[in-house]
Parts: sequence; structure tokens; C-alpha cells
Amino acid sequence: MSPARVLALLVIWHGVLSLGLFGVGISGLLRAWHALDVVRGAAHAAAVWLAVLSAAAALCIARRAHLGRTLSLVTHYLVFVAALIGLASLLDWFKGLDDLADYAARGTPFLMAFVIVVGYAVRTYERRERPVSPLRRAIGAAVMIAGGVGLALSVGITTALVSWVAKLVAGGWEALGWIGLMIASLFMLRVMWRAPVALWLGARSVFNERLTGWLFLSPNLLGFALFFAGPLLFSLYVSFTNWDAFARRDWVGLENYARVFTIVVQPLATPDQPASEALDIRAYSELFRVHLPGQSFLVGARDRLFWIALGNTLRFGAMAVPLSVVPALLLAVLLNTRLPGMRLYRTLYFIPSIAAVVGVALIWQWMYNSQVGWINYFITSAINAINQVLGTRIPDPQIRWLADSNYALLSVVIMSAWQWIGFNTVLFLAGLQTIPRELYEAATVDGANGRQRFFYITLPMLAPTTLYVLITSTIQALQVFDQVFIISNGTGGPGTSTLTMTLNLYQNGFQSFRQGYASALAWVLFVVIFIFTLFQFRRQRQASGAYDL
Amino acid sequence: MWYRLLRFLRAAAIYAVLTIFAVIMLFPFLVMVFTSLKTPADTFSYPPRLLPREQVTITLPGYERPLPLHWVRRENSELLPMALVEDNVRVGIFAPLRADGTPDPSRQVMRRFGEVKVAGGETPKTVMLNGVEAPVYLVSVNGEVQEMVVLTRTAVGRFVNPDNPQDVAVANVRLSPPVTRLTARPENYLAVVSLLGFDRALTNTALITLLTVIGQLTTSVLGGYAFARLRFPGRDQLFLVYLGTVMVPFVVLIIPLYQLMVAIGWINSMPALILPWLYTAYGTFLMRQFFITIPREIEEAALIDGASRLTILTRIFLPASVPALATLATFAFLHAWNSFFWPLVVVNTGNTRAQVLTLALNVLRGRAADSPNLILAGAAISIVPPTLIFALAQRYYVESVASSGLKG
Repeated sequence: MSPARVLALLVIWHGVLSLGLFGVGISGLLRAWHALDVVRGAAHAAAVWLAVLSAAAALCIARRAHLGRTLSLVTHYLVFVAALIGLASLLDWFKGLDDLADYAARGTPFLMAFVIVVGYAVRTYERRERPVSPLRRAIGAAVMIAGGVGLALSVGITTALVSWVAKLVAGGWEALGWIGLMIASLFMLRVMWRAPVALWLGARSVFNERLTGWLFLSPNLLGFALFFAGPLLFSLYVSFTNWDAFARRDWVGLENYARVFTIVVQPLATPDQPASEALDIRAYSELFRVHLPGQSFLVGARDRLFWIALGNTLRFGAMAVPLSVVPALLLAVLLNTRLPGMRLYRTLYFIPSIAAVVGVALIWQWMYNSQVGWINYFITSAINAINQVLGTRIPDPQIRWLADSNYALLSVVIMSAWQWIGFNTVLFLAGLQTIPRELYEAATVDGANGRQRFFYITLPMLAPTTLYVLITSTIQALQVFDQVFIISNGTGGPGTSTLTMTLNLYQNGFQSFRQGYASALAWVLFVVIFIFTLFQFRRQRQASGAYDL
Repeated sequence: MWYRLLRFLRAAAIYAVLTIFAVIMLFPFLVMVFTSLKTPADTFSYPPRLLPREQVTITLPGYERPLPLHWVRRENSELLPMALVEDNVRVGIFAPLRADGTPDPSRQVMRRFGEVKVAGGETPKTVMLNGVEAPVYLVSVNGEVQEMVVLTRTAVGRFVNPDNPQDVAVANVRLSPPVTRLTARPENYLAVVSLLGFDRALTNTALITLLTVIGQLTTSVLGGYAFARLRFPGRDQLFLVYLGTVMVPFVVLIIPLYQLMVAIGWINSMPALILPWLYTAYGTFLMRQFFITIPREIEEAALIDGASRLTILTRIFLPASVPALATLATFAFLHAWNSFFWPLVVVNTGNTRAQVLTLALNVLRGRAADSPNLILAGAAISIVPPTLIFALAQRYYVESVASSGLKG
């Protein structure tokens, strides 16, 4: 066939594809609009976009522009992915993961996976450059194949195949449509990629590299769009609605944010005047009172819990960040002395940070037990020892760590700091190892003592690392959730003493199902985190000016 | 000479501080492991002790049940292990009267009321104590019978010397510490696993972790290679956007992601726990940073020989990037294995098919509040596998945390 005829056929195909996608997309979009179905709407909007892409491809191919090839490849790739997702949901492949879990619960699939790994090791592991004998390769391959077959059987491939065939037959035209689209798009991808058409459209290796780049990035981009960018934008939209996760979703403008931030200050007639007289308690609740000489004020807020959670979170950060950063700096300086055995210590310190926060919280919960816990036992022993040696009579505080609202947050702080120290130590250590030794040597020659070397060399040179550690620790502290959830059983208690911003968000969004309001809380938290990051950056920039060499 | 001594002292001080911190870091884990091997009663003993111990019992002729052994302080102030045969025995603390008619507590003895006789025979002899008429008893001390009055009445245990069943003593059970020996109850782990579908949670978590690790490695390797080596318009801008996403806290996404899961019907199911996590910005970033260090020349030679990009990636780049792959796999493993917030949101309590370990632990905490040994056995099940993975990969992992500073 002549080039002109092939290209004409391609133009016609793209036109047909475009019209089909456009029709399906628009009709589906209208239906989704009426049903307020966001996911269906987004899917059909994507179909309309694909129709536009396809039409553009048809135009460009007609003009023999290389852009047409790119657009055609992109269109067909996306159509293929969409058809694959359509077929997957028709055959319930995603739900098949649940069945996979059912089979995995019997344990055999894990065993078979292990067999495959063993087979691979037999096939490829070589010692001291001695090549693997053909026999071993054959045995390894056989073991791997056996493991693979066993794995397929143990995850129920036979029942799965039967059910897929049944669903394909039951799916009828829809199934045929998806499969047809997949085959067609694969065929067109091949035609476009291969030599004659590619050359007619003026393909060069640079273009191919670009396309490969986007192709390699596409799984990432798909995840980025579906599970990050899309949800992020949707979250912003939801924060302007009063969504209750079910039927109601009205645009309320800035109402959610107003509810978060509104506070009122009311002068009081007497310092202990009840809040119900000074405030409209249907809308406001008391936050705290300020007693100035001669006049008292009552501060009320529309959402009292937000301010409490904000206060708790800031208090938590203000304690947990220094408590996890300062010891880390000390440990890193000690580890940097390059005595033998330092790697072992570094590894030991790191272990808490890899353990599940839930598990760690359970351990500490037990250690904090007020009657038979280790923490109180250590405190009691220490106080007894001090009293005996010095003859003092310090009373044993017998702190009820997790049940006392004065100590509950502190308990979480100690636990979290313990978990974060090792990580920060490793970061500091890496920063310390970039400081040139010559600086210390020169300072020693000039007669600087250890303290001076620390304050005039180590700290300034470590400033970038310190900044980084502070930022990441602060961000982590502002989002603290798992610890307080486990410790307080999700209540933020005792009282509201461990109610953090994230826990407050969880309670609003998933216990009271005020998802619109919870989204607004999430964006406020995001902005708070962002401000902290910016603030620390700016302070660091000002500070570093003084140390410029 | 002085200089060397000083250096030695300095090293000793450094090791001391480091060791103290190492103990602080490891102590909670020791508590976890040892408590998980204890008997329920042992967990509540005070003062707390680290190693699991159990009460030693002994079978004596004439007694049906095994008898618990206790350390009993005898009257000659010798500590002897004795078997508790009877609890709650009513006894009195007796003391002789001084010349002025008041009792002398310094010579007090403890006797069961069955062992003593009331003085005076038919007409019981009494004395006035603090304005109250008190009976006088005949108490034998070291074979000599004395007249004594009751100071206090209390309940004690009756103990028998196992070597000499005639040798009987009474003592306060609470003040007689039980004789214990080291023990270990690994069956706690079996009990936890069979409890509350913990076994299902364990296999689910393993499956989720496995698939997440494979998925994240695949997407990150492909994306990292594209960012590092392939030139295409918009690449650098897109990479900046990727870097920026690391700043966005997960809580912003949790409500829309939950709504997405509701809309496609994935609540309470495995895909919700796996598919959203197959893409990771920091993994892509990590792989890109590593790939960029691999020399271009090798790749160009392969390209001239006609190798495809995928071949180059699998044959040249992957074998050279084991450290980065190990790091990323460890990150993904820890993230998937330890995640709590997201499963909490998309899997309802009581659902067993999509149960994961952290959620099961949360339920276990509520149901087994009175047996910390079981709770901590569950905690150990959730903590030990990541620790093992970490032990295998720590050489690469810690190094690259140090160089990239990424938080999981």
C-alpha cells in the first residue's frame, strides 16, 4: 500500500475513534452529572479528552506532522490502559486481591514463592567466580518452574480462570468491546511505532527517546494523578462543602474555614460569671478566661476542640522536637569519634524508628502502667536511693501517666522522642562526617578547646543538617496520630489532653462524618506545616549569614 | 603517659554514655520479648522483673494438689523454702506483760489460736489493757510456757517444710516471697495467633507488603530511569513537582482517597490497601538520584549495539543498583507493614477478610487488656519481621538514609 493510503486509513480510524469516544464520554458525563457521581464523571471526562486527542492526531497525521504520531501513540496507549482497567473491573480483578488473600491465608502461596526464590538462588548463585554448572542451572530452572506452577495452583488459578470465562460470557458486548479496544489499540501502537509509518511521519531517535521517557514514567504518572493530584484537588473542593460522606454535599463557601477560626472575646462582669451569660452558647463554647487587673475576658470559639487540638499539637512539637534532636546531636558527636564499634551502636539506636508505632505504643503503655510499670518503678527506686543517700524526704509522685490529663501528653512525647532519636542521630552523623578534619586541626593549633571547637566549628558547619532534622521532626510531630490513637483508644483522652490535630480531623471525618469540615481541617494543618517549613528556612538563611566563611 | 591515660578515660566515658543510650533504646524491646513469654500472673508482679519466672510447686504426700513454695523466715531468722498448705489461718500476735502491766512488743510471737490455751483453767484469767478486759493465754516459747496477751489478730498461711513434714510454720503469705524459677511460655504466641483472626491479619499484611514492595520497586525504577536518563520536554518541571509532593501531608489526602474507595466499592477490601500505594514520589526520587551516578558511557555503548531501553535498564542499571533497591524495598516494606491510619480508615472493625496486623493489635489491646503477655506477644509479632528485614538491609538502608535524609 502506498504511504498516502495508509495515512488516510489512519486518519479515518482516528476520526471514528474520536467520534465514538466523544459520544460515550458526553452521554456518560451527563448521566454522572445528574447522579453527582464524581468517579464516573471523571472517567467519562477522560473519554472526552481522549476524543479530543484522537481528533488532533487525525488532523496532524493528515498534515503529515510528526506530532500526529506522538498524539496517536499517546491516545492508543491511554485507550489501552482504560480498556485494561475496564476489563479488570468487569472481571473483578481488583476484588480478586481479596480472593488472593483468602488463598494466601492457607500459607501455601508463601511457601511456593519461597520455592521460586530457592530455585533462583540455585540457578544463579556462584561462588568465587566459578561458573554455575549446566546441571545446576537446569535443576534451578526446574525448581523455579515447579514453584511457579505450584504458586499458580495454590492461589486458585483454575477457579479464577473458570470464573473469568464465565464473567466474559456474561459480560457479552461490554467484554467484547474492552477486548476489541485493547487489541485495536495494541495493533495501532505497533503500526505507529514500526518503521514505515514512523518514517513517513518523520520520526527521529530524539522523538523516540521522549516517548520512551513518558512511557516509563506513565505508571508513576497514573498513580500520581489517580491517588495524589486528583484527590488533592478534590479535597480542596470538599473543604468548601458540607459533605457528610453520604447524600448531602452543598457548596458552603468559606463557612468551614470560618467555623475553624472564629473566636470571640467577651468582657465579663465578674471573673467567675458563667459562660452561658456572656456567650451565645448555641454557637460558641468557652475556650479560656483572661484575668487582667480590673477586668476579665472570656475567650470563646465556635470549634473549641480545634483550638485545643492546635494547642496540644504545638505543645507536643515543642517538647518532642528538642527531646529527639538534642540527644541525637550529642550521640552523633560521640559516634563521630571513630572509635571501634560505632556502627553497632548506630544500628542499635536506629531500631526503634523502624518498629511499628502501634506495637511501640503498646509496649510503652505497659511500661507506663502506674502500679506495676517499669517507669514508675524506676522513679520510685531513684527517689528511694536519693532519700537514703541524702537523707531527704522527697515523696514518691506515683504518676498515673496515661490516666492523668497533666501527664498523658508528656507520656506520648517521651515515647515519640525515644522512637525518633536514632533516625535523627544517623542524619546528624552523616552531616558531621562532611565537616573537613582540617578545620578542627587548625582550631586546635590556634588553641581552641573542645567546647569552643563544638560551638564555633561543629554547630555552624552542621547548620544545614540541623535545619533539615528540625524540619522533618517538626513535620512529623505536627502529624502525630498513631501514638495518641493507641494510647487514648481514639478518644484523645483523658479529657482532651491528647487530642492532636490529626486525631481531631479523624474524629470529625470518620466518627462524626463531617467530611467537608474535616477537609478544611486538613488544609489548615497543611498550611500550618507549610508555615513551619518556611519559617525554619528563613531563620536558617538569616543565621547562616553570620557564619559565612 | 598522662596523655594516654586521658585518652583512655575519654574513650571509656564515650562508651559509657553510648551504652547507657543503647540500653534505653533496647530496654522497651526487652520488656516486650520477656513479657510476651510470661504467665499472666507474673506480668503483674511488683517490683517488676524482666525475666519470666513462675511459681515453683511441690507435691507432698497427703495433699492432692501441688503446693506452692515460699521463702519463709523462721524464728531463728533463717530463710527456708516451705510449702503453703493452708491460707487464711486465723492467728494472734502474742506478747508477754511487763512488770508495769503493759505488753512488751519486743518479745512478741505469733501463734495459731489452736496452739495456745487460756490461762486460769475454769475461770479464765484476764488483765485490763487500755481499759478493756483482755484474756491471758499460755504460750510456749522455746519449750517454756509464758503468760501473754493478744496484741493483734491476723490471717496468715500455714507452711510445711517439704523435707520434714512435722516442721510447721505460720507466716504472712504476702511477706513470704514465692520461690520462683526461670520459665518461658512460647505458647503465648500461639494463643495470640489463634485469637481474633490474628493469623489472617498476619498473612494479609504479608501479602500487602509483598505486593506493595514489588509494585513500588517497579514504578520507581521505571520512573527513576526516565527522570535520570531520558530527555523529554517537561521532565525537569515534573521532577520539581514530584519533589514538592513530599511536603504534602498524608492527612490532606485521606478524606478524598476514602471517598474514592467508597465510590469504587473498595472499602473493606484488599485493593484499597495495596493499589493506592504502588506509586511513591520519594521512591522515584531515590532511584533517580542513584541512576544519575551510573556512568553514561556504558549505556551509550549498549545503545549503539542496538539494545532497547528496557534491556539497558534490566541488564545494566538494575544489577548496579542493589544498594538503592535494597533501601527502597526496605522503605516500602516498613511503610506497608507498619501503616495504621489508612487501614483504620478503609477497613471497618470486625471485618476479617481485609484485616491487617496493626488493626488486629488495636483490637487485641481492647479485648485482652488483662493479659499484657498476649498484647506484647502481638506487638512482638508486628515488630520482629521489620527488625529482621532491617538487620539484613541495614548496611544499605542506614547509609542511604544518611545520604538522602528521606523519612519513610
